[in-house]
Amino acid sequence: MSVAPAALAAFAAQWQARTVDALHPWREQAMLRFLRLGLPGSRDESWRYTSLRGLAASDFVASTEETLGAGPTDPTFNYTLPLDAVRVDLVNGYPQPASLPTAAGLRLASLRDRARDDAADLSTRLGAPSDSEQQRWALLNAALFVDGLHVLIDGVVDVPLLLVHHTHGPSANTSAHPRLLVEAAPGSSATIIEWHVETGAGATLCNSAAQIALAPDAQIEHYRIFSAGPAATNIDTLEIRLAANSRCKQFTVALGGELLRTNLEAHLDGAGAELDSFSLLVGSGPRHVDCMNVAAHHAPRTQSRQTAREIAGDTSRVIFNSKVIVDAGAAHAQSQQSSRGLLLSPGAEIDTRPQLEIHTDEVKCAHGATTGRLDPNMLFYMLSRGIDRATAQSLLVYAFLADVLTDMSSRGTRAGVEAQLISQLPDSDLLREFR
Amino acid sequence: MLKIENLSARVAGKDILNGIDLCINAGEVHAIMGPNGSGKSTLAQVLAGREDYEVTGGRITFDGQDLLLMKPEDRARAGLFLGFQYPVEIPGVNNVYLLKAALNAKRKAAGLPEVDAYEFLALIKQKMKFMEMSEAFLTRGVNEGFSGGEKKRNEILQMLVLEPKLAILDETDSGLDIDALKIVSKGVNSLRDAKRAVVLVTHYQRLLDYIVPDQVHVLSGGRILKSGDKSLALELEQRGYDWVKASRVA
Repeated sequence: MSVAPAALAAFAAQWQARTVDALHPWREQAMLRFLRLGLPGSRDESWRYTSLRGLAASDFVASTEETLGAGPTDPTFNYTLPLDAVRVDLVNGYPQPASLPTAAGLRLASLRDRARDDAADLSTRLGAPSDSEQQRWALLNAALFVDGLHVLIDGVVDVPLLLVHHTHGPSANTSAHPRLLVEAAPGSSATIIEWHVETGAGATLCNSAAQIALAPDAQIEHYRIFSAGPAATNIDTLEIRLAANSRCKQFTVALGGELLRTNLEAHLDGAGAELDSFSLLVGSGPRHVDCMNVAAHHAPRTQSRQTAREIAGDTSRVIFNSKVIVDAGAAHAQSQQSSRGLLLSPGAEIDTRPQLEIHTDEVKCAHGATTGRLDPNMLFYMLSRGIDRATAQSLLVYAFLADVLTDMSSRGTRAGVEAQLISQLPDSDLLREFR
Repeated sequence: MLKIENLSARVAGKDILNGIDLCINAGEVHAIMGPNGSGKSTLAQVLAGREDYEVTGGRITFDGQDLLLMKPEDRARAGLFLGFQYPVEIPGVNNVYLLKAALNAKRKAAGLPEVDAYEFLALIKQKMKFMEMSEAFLTRGVNEGFSGGEKKRNEILQMLVLEPKLAILDETDSGLDIDALKIVSKGVNSLRDAKRAVVLVTHYQRLLDYIVPDQVHVLSGGRILKSGDKSLALELEQRGYDWVKASRVA
């Protein structure tokens, strides 16, 4: 393992220093695996585009329990959040307010409370730790998370659930490991929005992990939106398990941070399960965005669709790495992978890598990937109408992303993403009119 | 209004225009005809400022200004309009908002106050009615999913809103049925006045039945071989282009 030991040593020290809780046996299993496997590096296939050298050399400090008031929460940011939602703020993983809101069909509990009440039950629900590359950081999260949220959906939930993840530290190199466990009962449905921000000293690490389990016929629309500041690192691992005829629509939106790595591991376990994944990845400045999706079809007639739009400006690098696995038992599975990249500057880079691993006949798997610059014909058309170049370019960039935005059913979320997206483009005042 | 002197231009390393001379005065309508590949569309694109078309010689003045020194967007704001032969589809950019931004860019350049959303909506609705376009176009992306005829009608709609001094219409009649041709012609004729000029690039005499030109030019091999009045178009219709080329050689 060619990884500098500082971060590993720091994580091991955090592990040693923490108070033993009821989940300890489950956590220990995960930590031992993490220490044995180490931080993923360039030799690990799904990490080949992202160097963690800088991160590995950092001496991370465990985040402490904070309340919302402690962090300099950006008031302008709040305006862009969907208002029509049940909102919970998680500061370094600690849910706020302490008395969690309720809504019809929705039950929320702190994971710390759940562990205290029935650790055996919770560790069963959290499941056995996985050795997969995509889940490496989730192992660390399992060992070190202090709190998080358990979401039980047992009906049709009309109001979206908005979870705002704040990573806050008094010093640089603060690391937080928020965790989310969502369980959707048969036939239930809900929209869950995870919005990541960082409100602390800057160079924070947020290593979040979420698990979503859909029972038969359940429907979930899930968003994870990353809007952290320019020095923040986010590593997020999302595992989705889909039982028969369940459907999950998933949006991954990268709008901030210095280094962002998202992992999606979706298991289509039940016949007829469907996954629709949308990735909207925006690189600007020196940002590095690495989106890794794995959709594993384990059952017949399962369907997965992955749609990605990447934009890279300045010296940013954006990676969309997606893999579809169709098991021997997944007859008549269908999958689509579609990726379109837009390069906005000569110093930017986009890498897309669609992969297919098929172990059965009678499947329909399609993939397509293109990367290019702004269409000169579109640009000239707009210039010839008197629109200035910067505005025309911004409009075209916005238009490039618009078809992913239109798939968002949560209007408030879409408006918030649009507002943040537009504020990163030139001529934002004019662009607001085009929404 | 527009004076082109000895203009030559190159596209992708190939010489297309080889010494064009043309003078267009306010109030005039000129038709440019010619065989395929003669340079008609190149001339239209060069006038609008297409950057990958390299001007290798000559000069163009528009209202006394050196057009070749102006950026495409400045040409548009100064009152030059190109109606495209193949209007591009821009999904995700609303047709009407683009037009509003275009109008306001032009007004701003002229020192006029911007038009607000309500005024603009009233204006566009009136022009759309005139062009017999459905209001469904209000919510669509630029040319998105438009038929060939709808795209051409949309070009003329843009022209009517922007009220250019000089409109260059590149094969606006191609792909139009008779009814659409009449509507498009009505649009163009409504803009004709003593202060404006129109250049029609066309293959067909038929358009000139509806929009009667003051002058007709035959472009071939990147040069204007012959100019005349509207009767030249009728003669071309009957005799083709070879006799023009032959008479030039002779």
